[in-house]
Amino acid sequence: GQPPGKPELIKCRSPEKETFSCWWKPVSDGGLPTNYTLFYNNEGEESFYECPDYTTAGPNSCYFDKKHTSLWTIYNITIKATNEMGSNISEPHYVDVTYIVQPNPPVNLSLALNKHTDGKLYLLMNWSSPPLADVRSGWLTLEYELRLKPEEGEEWETIFVGQRTKYKVFSLIPGEKYIAQVRCKSDHGEWSKWSSESYIHLPKEFRLKD
Amino acid sequence: PICPNGSISCQVSLGDLFDRAVKLSHYIHSLSSEMFNEFDERYAQGRGFITKAINSCHTSSLTTPEDKEQAQQIHHEDLLNLVMGVLNSWNDPLLHLVSEVQTIKEAPDTILWKAVEIEEQNKRLLEGMEKIVGRLHPGGLGNELYSRWSGLPSLQLPDEDSRLFAFYNLLHCLRRDSHKIDNYLKLLKCRLIHDSNC
Repeated sequence: GQPPGKPELIKCRSPEKETFSCWWKPVSDGGLPTNYTLFYNNEGEESFYECPDYTTAGPNSCYFDKKHTSLWTIYNITIKATNEMGSNISEPHYVDVTYIVQPNPPVNLSLALNKHTDGKLYLLMNWSSPPLADVRSGWLTLEYELRLKPEEGEEWETIFVGQRTKYKVFSLIPGEKYIAQVRCKSDHGEWSKWSSESYIHLPKEFRLKD
Repeated sequence: PICPNGSISCQVSLGDLFDRAVKLSHYIHSLSSEMFNEFDERYAQGRGFITKAINSCHTSSLTTPEDKEQAQQIHHEDLLNLVMGVLNSWNDPLLHLVSEVQTIKEAPDTILWKAVEIEEQNKRLLEGMEKIVGRLHPGGLGNELYSRWSGLPSLQLPDEDSRLFAFYNLLHCLRRDSHKIDNYLKLLKCRLIHDSNC
């Protein structure tokens, strides 16, 4: 057998600027059982600590709960792979949680036909921020983007709507079946994945314009 | 119109003052982030600067909240005071950054322009914050916080690597502190204007 190859940290992500997780790529282990240990220390600290939770974020991961998560400080993270023939350590990975925020997708996207005061019909899209994202206190500021297309259509129409969580759509084709999704990002972070799809079938006599 | 016609002692509302401050702080951080990334890409690749930029911001003596719990527990007066302290502590370095950036070899205009823009907007934000503080605490906030910057000589070092690291570190700290200010102001706005129900 061989000592393990050099492990590699793939990604770290914080979904709500309060906790974060990191994932690493398993190494070529030559068939020998390999054990992984994550070590980290914070900016200005000498001592290193071990990952507080290897399970919550799934295989080959480390989860840092609120108590172990600080912003505006650099985490120096390394992974050690060990088997009976020896061990190998990854390159250090420097992470500041401030810059790895990628929220979960928004939830509860609903589509409903409404009538405007002037009698015109429009599609009202409504959604909620992802659970666990504390938008209410202002700790996390989320911005949203919608996309909409006829079910058979190719092209999505994408609309950035800022911090709103509802939006009125007027320019639709009567009789069509539409698919809609929404995603979000924190004010200075990465876009989430798109939400699950929502559908609506517009009645044929759905008159939008005079 | 901000002030209805004919009104004499018309004041911008506290909510509008906070809206403007948050727009500015958001803008300043976006610029700072872009400037840092641009500099990092062009001058810092493979030099391992990040390992040396540890714990070296001139404002690290100002003890600021590092997570949501700490930020929510701190009294708004103290958080305002911290924001003012950090903003004030950046006046001097930003002024010098504008002049010294021009001495970097082949410094792109986009970095120069951002340095000038950030310096100007930081002053505007400071003025806006002084209005907010004046509105909330007419008597002032008590002990003014300030952290002196002594990094000018390192921006003028003859050795290229050392000098580039000094710039890297300054931009790294600017990105970090501008994010702190932006985050704290958004928190304060929700707390004071929207009763923590944004």
